[in-house]
Amino acid sequence: MVDDEVRALTERALDVARSVGASYADARYLAEDSESIDVENGRVEGVSRGSDAGIGVRVLVDGAWGFAGTALMDPKEIERVAGLAVEIARSSRPLLRTPVVLADEQPVEAFWETPIEEDPFAVSLDEKIDLLLKASAELQSVQGLTIAQSSMDFWRRHSFLATSEGARIEQIITQSGAGIVALAVGDREVQQRSFPNSFRGHFACKGYEHIRSLDLAENAARIAEEAVALHKAPECPSGRTTIVLDPNQLCLQVHESVGHPLELDRVLGMEAAYAGTSFVKPDDRGSLRYGSDQITITCDSTLPGALGSYGYDDEGVPSRREVLIENGVFQRFLSSRETAPVIGETRSNGTMRADGWGVIPLIRMPNINLEPGTSSLEEMIGTTDDGIFMSTNISWSIDDKRTNFQFGTEIAWEIKKGTLGRMLRNPNYAGKTVEFWSSCDALGGKDEWKVYGTPNCGKGQPAQVARVAHGTSPGRFRDVQVGVRG
Amino acid sequence: MTLLGQDRFEDAARIALGDGVDAALVLAFHSAGGLTRFASSQIHQNTWRETVAISVMAVVDGNRVGVAAGSSLEPDAVRSTLQAAKAIAAVTPANPDFPGLAGPASYPAANLWDDATAETTPAERADGVARALEEFPSNIDAAGYIETTANEVFIAGSTGLRAYATSTQAGCSVMAIAQNSSGFAESVERKLGALDVPVLAERAVKKAELGRDPADVEPGAYTVILEPAATSTLLQFLAFLGFGGKAFLEGRSFMTGKIGEKIMEQKITIVDDPIASDALGLPFDFEGTPSSRVVLIDKGVAKDVVWDRTTAKKAGRESTGHGLPPPNTMGPLPLNLRMEPGDQSLEQLVASTDRGLLVTRFHYSNVVSEKETVLTGMTRDGTFAIEDGKLARGVKNLRFTQNAVEALSNVEGVGDTTETSTELFFGGSRAPAIKVRDFKFSSATTH
Repeated sequence: MVDDEVRALTERALDVARSVGASYADARYLAEDSESIDVENGRVEGVSRGSDAGIGVRVLVDGAWGFAGTALMDPKEIERVAGLAVEIARSSRPLLRTPVVLADEQPVEAFWETPIEEDPFAVSLDEKIDLLLKASAELQSVQGLTIAQSSMDFWRRHSFLATSEGARIEQIITQSGAGIVALAVGDREVQQRSFPNSFRGHFACKGYEHIRSLDLAENAARIAEEAVALHKAPECPSGRTTIVLDPNQLCLQVHESVGHPLELDRVLGMEAAYAGTSFVKPDDRGSLRYGSDQITITCDSTLPGALGSYGYDDEGVPSRREVLIENGVFQRFLSSRETAPVIGETRSNGTMRADGWGVIPLIRMPNINLEPGTSSLEEMIGTTDDGIFMSTNISWSIDDKRTNFQFGTEIAWEIKKGTLGRMLRNPNYAGKTVEFWSSCDALGGKDEWKVYGTPNCGKGQPAQVARVAHGTSPGRFRDVQVGVRG
Repeated sequence: MTLLGQDRFEDAARIALGDGVDAALVLAFHSAGGLTRFASSQIHQNTWRETVAISVMAVVDGNRVGVAAGSSLEPDAVRSTLQAAKAIAAVTPANPDFPGLAGPASYPAANLWDDATAETTPAERADGVARALEEFPSNIDAAGYIETTANEVFIAGSTGLRAYATSTQAGCSVMAIAQNSSGFAESVERKLGALDVPVLAERAVKKAELGRDPADVEPGAYTVILEPAATSTLLQFLAFLGFGGKAFLEGRSFMTGKIGEKIMEQKITIVDDPIASDALGLPFDFEGTPSSRVVLIDKGVAKDVVWDRTTAKKAGRESTGHGLPPPNTMGPLPLNLRMEPGDQSLEQLVASTDRGLLVTRFHYSNVVSEKETVLTGMTRDGTFAIEDGKLARGVKNLRFTQNAVEALSNVEGVGDTTETSTELFFGGSRAPAIKVRDFKFSSATTH
């Protein structure tokens, strides 16, 4: 539990902010412990532990936002920072066209904690390093492999939110992840295979039991062999064809072409100059045909074990599951207490998160999921005459309104007459968001549905990194452009 | 921001360089700054933060290394950070590649500080936004940011190494958003006073106005004029892909095996120069090695990459002062990249082009093939058709999929001025406009 000193500092921040003119204030304490281990070619390249703590004070004065944060945790500094937040809000006011109105939210006193079986910070470094060295040795056992990487990351965020409306919410969120990467360096190309996923592996709101379940060493030789074999594989052909996407690619497709465009702050232009806006408009609710009937997308911050799960967002709104796209028709955005009323919604759906104490919360995807269908990977491949099965994201790019995208995967296999054929190197595909989702004619069922954490979602100025997740099963898409070359 | 001062860091270092380790390195930062964002022609986010960070690298048994980091310089907190670093080092296997710590050195003199920037008030940042908005007609919306920061960096090693620097930085971007077009301009400098916010706003508005009712354009190979921000995107990705010693030694870099060969057009010279008068770097790197100017591409010829202590030891070289904070698994990187200017104005580059496209900047670019340096990304905020040496009209945005080294081999002209630009989720680099033939666009958009 947070100590009395932290509670006293946040109360003091609220008192000062209100006394100098804030109509609303929140004080958010955050302490984060982290651990990271990197092994490359059998050598420990880096082991680090970090801790960071501070308090951020956010205020509304006459409808204008102000925010100030500090790592210096003493009463005088907190008083100064609370006053500064109000001064900042006052400086914004003359250039404010539309004063901020917050959606109502019942303040609660609550405690929420990630359920974990085994505290990752209590597991010895020896054991963790040993696991990564074993995986590295398995990777290196494959002839032709150039670089063998294995890594683990752990975070524990301990937060306490106090608002002038009376919310007092404490949360402890534990996140764990690990992965391996095999790199085969050739004269012209570098081929890469990752397991269980790219971007440092598979991350979850779980304890060390998650790491034990990954079987890194057991899968190392297979992916190393694939990385080496890719150099001899034919290049992904160029043209239009049917593609089947593995969940470890489809998850990023959901992230970039559904999650981000449905962030209401983007829709309202609040991120226009940096990350961009969205092709989706408020009037599109209930009418925009976003994809085929197969496509139902949910936002679910309650999903047990998923990297983007929490009890309450950083505005004190409880986590929830909501349908964003239902049978292909767009229904609702990801919102905040500020943005929901702008489009006539009465409540935020609880997606505001900050990546530290020194920055304001922004609308961030929690777990955005493509709900499962009724097919299976075997059936999708078996009923495809000519196509490509692509796995594991390696490259991603999408325009500032989230329509034109291009993704690359680490590996692919051709599909001929219902069976998987030759391995293909340098696979990629490109398309337009609505056209692409409309071309989906099959999704795998519940038993093939996997949730992958994305630990590196960037947004905002100052830049913030969020840890989010996406659940998907494999999916099939017709008439897609593949093999884009430079 | 009130500076903590070198003595305050020295107090922490005395604890962190304590007994029980063979060697230790302390890296500490103190930073404060405000960032005022505007969108829909109003200030919508307005923030300030003051951070303190300290990391301790402890070395035991000669080459067993652990790193721990904290956010307080208080004695108990520093002791705790040191203990954590020692505990990690004690169980970490020996690293035969560990190069040891840098010794004491003298650093290039540099004046990186501006009082006015460090003391910028929220009202002054808001005033900057107001001056930008004055340039906007009522039918065009404004978005962007103004940021001012002040920083202290301190490095101490058990070898007697001591490095300390104070620096300031100010940045501003302005985006103009019209009904179906947009424009953008950005500037990053040491001093807030060096930012000409109205000029940035005027440039952005002009682009949005010129780009109204953009025409469709077919994807394909075009002669392009890349404005400095777009050139910077190519530079930033080349830095990440291959201008560092680690990628070079691993054979992943496009520079591997090419030193001494002509790999780009003769008009292209690329250097990393942290201590140039218009750069934003420090006189030392995060290992305490003095920063130095490194010529990476000299008149099109591959000359060198940048090195830190670990990669330099492996290569039999000296560090060039491009080390990142430990523990660093990425190897050294050039963080102050610049392409040397040429001799043609932007107007001359456009005037010399019969048919082509002008690109203001790229968006959300990424790597398609790392060693081949194939990149993809979108144009945004001002893409124009050039006809008969003039900007003819705005065009809808395009996706490029292009080999970056090949693009820099196809350069026909280089602008005579440079600007510092930032890349989404990267740092910044300084570049001129360039004219490139056969630049490949793989698809188009509807906006």
